[in-house]
Amino acid sequence: MIRLVAGLLVAAVTLALPAVLDDSALAVYILLGLAAMVTVGVSLLMGYAGQVSLGQGAFYAVGAYTAALLSLHGVPPLAGLIAAPVVAAASALVIGVPLLRLRGHHLAFATLAMQLILLSLAGQLEVTGGDIGLQAIPQFSVGSFEAGGASAYAYLTWIGLALVMLVTRNVITSRPGRALRALATSETAAASSGIPVGRYKLVVFALSAAFAGLAGGIYCFYTGYVAPGSFPVLISIQYIVMAVVGGLGTIWGAVVGATAITLLVQGLNSLAALPGMPSYAPGVLSYAVYALVLILVVLFLPRGLLPAVSGRVNRDRRGMIHR
Amino acid sequence: MIDVKDLVVSYGTATALDHVTLTVGRGEMVALLGPNGAGKSTLANTLAGLLRPAAGTVGIGGRLALIPEGRQLFPDLSVADNLALGGWRSGLRDPSSVYGLLPRLAELAGRQAGVLSGGEQQMVAFGRALMSRPEVLVVDELSLGLAPNVTADLAGHLAELNREQGLTVLLIEQNARLAFDLCGRAYVLESGRVVAEGECAELAGDPRVASAYLGGAIT
Amino acid sequence: MSAFLTYLLNGLAVGCAVALIASGLVVIHRVTGVVNFAQGTFAVVAGLCTSSLLGLGFPHGLSELAAVLVAALAGLLTGLAAIGRRGTTPLSSLIVTLGVGVLAYAVEIVLWGDQPRSAPGLAGSVTLAGARVQTQHLLVIGVTAAAFALLALFFGRTYLGKALTACASNPYAARVVGIDTRLMGLLAFALGGLLGGIAGVLVTPLRPISFDTDVTLIVNAFAAAVFGALTRPVITLAGALLLGVAETMAAGYGYGSHQLEVALGLMIVVMIVQASRRSAISQEQT
Repeated sequence: MIRLVAGLLVAAVTLALPAVLDDSALAVYILLGLAAMVTVGVSLLMGYAGQVSLGQGAFYAVGAYTAALLSLHGVPPLAGLIAAPVVAAASALVIGVPLLRLRGHHLAFATLAMQLILLSLAGQLEVTGGDIGLQAIPQFSVGSFEAGGASAYAYLTWIGLALVMLVTRNVITSRPGRALRALATSETAAASSGIPVGRYKLVVFALSAAFAGLAGGIYCFYTGYVAPGSFPVLISIQYIVMAVVGGLGTIWGAVVGATAITLLVQGLNSLAALPGMPSYAPGVLSYAVYALVLILVVLFLPRGLLPAVSGRVNRDRRGMIHR
Repeated sequence: MIDVKDLVVSYGTATALDHVTLTVGRGEMVALLGPNGAGKSTLANTLAGLLRPAAGTVGIGGRLALIPEGRQLFPDLSVADNLALGGWRSGLRDPSSVYGLLPRLAELAGRQAGVLSGGEQQMVAFGRALMSRPEVLVVDELSLGLAPNVTADLAGHLAELNREQGLTVLLIEQNARLAFDLCGRAYVLESGRVVAEGECAELAGDPRVASAYLGGAIT
Repeated sequence: MSAFLTYLLNGLAVGCAVALIASGLVVIHRVTGVVNFAQGTFAVVAGLCTSSLLGLGFPHGLSELAAVLVAALAGLLTGLAAIGRRGTTPLSSLIVTLGVGVLAYAVEIVLWGDQPRSAPGLAGSVTLAGARVQTQHLLVIGVTAAAFALLALFFGRTYLGKALTACASNPYAARVVGIDTRLMGLLAFALGGLLGGIAGVLVTPLRPISFDTDVTLIVNAFAAAVFGALTRPVITLAGALLLGVAETMAAGYGYGSHQLEVALGLMIVVMIVQASRRSAISQEQT
């Protein structure tokens, strides 16, 4: 009952916010929602499949480029947006078949390499606009309704996030989802109890890619342009920070982590913009925050902020990164 | 030399040693018997300072060396290097004193430890422990997986060191006959508790100990 | 033919720098089981330090030495964060070193700004069999050869080196004989910092270094180390030289724009081949 009330309250606040926020606050609100969307997938991948992806930004980029290219070639934006997660998931399936034979630090580096390769290709190919990227992407529209202002994108983002959370909830409460939990702790044990480890890992990988792809699709319509520079390696690290901070394998944790980190970085950015601060202050402060939060949480709160605060941690979730 | 009082050691929520009290006097040779999982190796690792007690006290009256269960050599290094590293604490680098006691090791000095036979490996582990110039030696499963004549050879060296140099020995064994042959006193550990202790002659007469450790397949 | 020889020597020099960073990666991984993501950072820190010290008027030699020592210190601090706390799993340690690498960005930008910096190295060039080679390239090759020889002597001949190998070979047994494995791990991190630092000092005169050069460096070094399964220094050296030569040849003969993709693709293929050779069980134990 309390959870229902709390849920309704959160939903009401979420829906009310776009109406009261100004444009610059809305920008933060949208980017927060997009980051949360990707982080839910990262958290699922790390918490349930026990795998670290340092290349989640690649799928974000795939989604963004997919939606941008399609709508620039006259495809209706809605179709472009639907294609974004589909293409991201499909590429994850193709890449995942060989890549997911790797584990631990091997997979971490392979996914990082994947993102570097993708960015390098996007910066060189003519069809993706090279280093300049793609400009003048049309506004998002459904039929005759066109998303004009930032508040429309805020609603779109948070509807997307709700959808992502709902799908994730259904996945982890399903019977395969419970089996997946075993995967994070011991793959061998999971395999010997008859769980098709490889297929489940691939599905989770593809699902997390789809979430990132959807976020990328919304992002490209909101900003109106995409370029390789929009998806630095640091963005993938940022999602890991958010997932680790929130608590791996928890849906709300991912949202809490994304919110906490986004607001923290935003707060420091406005601090850094104060007169008298050096020009490099925003970059330095956000690097420092990502780094310190990541290190301190991994070392001292390995279960993440949300489980540590709420104290409702199952014993079997201990040492999620443990392998 | 070894004075353990009310020792409790746990792994997470599982208690491996439950209020264990045990003493080994200077120059004594004492056996610790018990089935697999009784907590024998936990005790050995705690005595060696590798595990921290949750409660109770562990008093060690001199330099202690452990011959761990399963030899635990450095497989990539030569026998000579394995021995030299045994002197990490004592500062002894030259293994010639050990070669004097165990001449076979001098012949094996240049071989890689990982490729030796079980008996040879146990001898290296023995020599490595001696390199730390121990006053107390804890031997975890001397006979495990070894042929009887190899075990007898090693046991002979152990008895000799005890007799001639006054080395204190805690011998952890599943082979009760061997333990009773070598030692004066013994403790029996089951499920983390001491269930019997006393002179070996008495314990050998105890029907419960006899049926559990001297009957059946034990040779 | 002389162009070929020039490319070959240039490539070997590039490969040597990668090999030094990769060997640090291998040393740390062998002793602690941790893959140190901040390994490229050490080279960046040393490179930036040299450029500053030389700029302040300190002489060659002293500047480079001090920069390498700073990198070793950075290695030690990284180790303290990564393995200083009891019970940190290798994968958690990897994430911590990732954090250290990002933290270094903040420090480096404050100290050196975000623009690439260079440092003067050995000037001039020599002609070898008709090929013109920069003297600095020869210096890189020479120093790397010496560093690897010293490394082999250290691990093969010295007591401390053997103790480090013992930690890699059987950590439990190392603790049994009284070796403090955490202290040895920290030593490995410091050594890794030192090796990375040497690479940074050598490479800065050849190509300018900025705070985010570490990603390229660590990815190339990891690719080389993967050849030796992250444990074998000699194969790592071979892998790094191969990568360096292949990349330089590709660039020299006009396929330069795809060298990163080729190197990274090769790394992924090598890893996948290695993984499919090992069983899931043996891998889970590592």
